[in-house]
Amino acid sequence: MRITILNGDPDPASAFQLYVQQVAGRLADSGHTVTTLNLRDLDLKGCSGCFGCWVKTPGECVKRDDSARVCRAVIDSSLTVLASPIVMGFTTALLKRATDQMIPLVHPYFVVQGGEMHHRPRYAKYPALGLLLGAGSNCDAEDIEIATAIWKRTARNLKFRTVFTAVADRSAKEVADELARVA
Amino acid sequence: MNSLVLLNGSPRGERSNSMKMLARVAEGWERGGGRTPEVLHLAQRSEFDRAVQAFGESDVVLLGMPLYTDAMPGIVKLYIEALAPRVEVAAAGERNPTLGFLVQSGFPEALHSRLLERYLEKLARRLGSPYAGTIVRGWGEALQMMPDEANKKLWARLRTLGEQLARDGRFGEEELDAVAGTERFSALAAALLSVALRLPAVQFMWNRRLKKNGVWERRFAAPYRPALRTGR
Ligand SMILES: Cc1cc2nc3c(=O)[nH]c(=O)nc-3n(C[C@H](O)[C@H](O)[C@H](O)COP(=O)(O)O)c2cc1C
Repeated sequence: MRITILNGDPDPASAFQLYVQQVAGRLADSGHTVTTLNLRDLDLKGCSGCFGCWVKTPGECVKRDDSARVCRAVIDSSLTVLASPIVMGFTTALLKRATDQMIPLVHPYFVVQGGEMHHRPRYAKYPALGLLLGAGSNCDAEDIEIATAIWKRTARNLKFRTVFTAVADRSAKEVADELARVA
Repeated sequence: MNSLVLLNGSPRGERSNSMKMLARVAEGWERGGGRTPEVLHLAQRSEFDRAVQAFGESDVVLLGMPLYTDAMPGIVKLYIEALAPRVEVAAAGERNPTLGFLVQSGFPEALHSRLLERYLEKLARRLGSPYAGTIVRGWGEALQMMPDEANKKLWARLRTLGEQLARDGRFGEEELDAVAGTERFSALAAALLSVALRLPAVQFMWNRRLKKNGVWERRFAAPYRPALRTGR
């Protein structure tokens, strides 16, 4: 199966980075096609809120940057894993910048979904979503709870199914095996 | 409670729904006896840096933003990360400013913004800042579509909230509830809306722009669909 990992860790030398690498390696070893995008290495200009991706160049950001690569890798996968350390109580600005630029994956039209206002899907199929959080020293259980709850909402909004959430406190092997099972 | 820094976290900068609302809160703040606030747009690089510095110099900071994929925009998170040293400062016994927030969303129900509100309240605690509350408002794009006249009631409420902030150091619950409006749709409203949204006329705000840009026919484009990809 095709798995895309979006790594929002800005630090290439961190323990979390190494952990994500190990998870990716284990998944590849067990036969999955894994694409890891280290977001810090990409040119992501960020969303300016122009809605051009909905009304000017439908389905694509008007900015010529690597956000197209990110969107393509997400739609192309059956499981997308968002990986990020918790900084100031939430996933990193780097990951948020990348996900802000994912709204071209849905359609502007409003629909009611689960009794709430949401958007019409643009694609017939969306990946399942996994969330892998790194808990640093200034992070408590409430931070993890809030961040997880927010990402579950985001997933629903973007039409992903959340199938997995974890804090990186178990072995990379264990996490990878569970990811492979739920995907 | 005298000096206020107004931080606009909209990536759209000056011409944003967030700024429109923040400006009204600021009017009330001055009416309540506060000094004319400093206004900084986080989308502007130079103002972003100033905003980091200004945080430590003010009695009150009001940070407004649009809801982006159920959370804060990336640029606002970047600002929050730049405040990390202020956590240490607070731990060492220095004071941080009173913190208030404004979150407005595209979808009409307030419930979309409630988790972000929870995060922001925790953020104030993390910084050791007195928490003034979070103004939540749905249907933010309507501010652009409606004539100013139609928003009069909302502007008045936002001014009241600004006055409360200047006077009491926090927003009043009743006024916050009134501004938030519909928390969630009733089952009946959801059912009716679900049908209404199938009428093309209801999606006019998108259709008008798609047509104006000459891409109406391509509105359902799915450029990243694997089957359509060439060269693979
Ligand atoms: C990238 C992006 C993501 C958004 N995500 C949401 C969302 O999850 N929920 C919502 O209700 N509105 C969402 N919106 C709509 C904005 O919150 C709304 O348009 C807002 O009024 C913009 O305010 P501003 O002019 O201050 O930037 C999103 C808009 C953009 C551009």
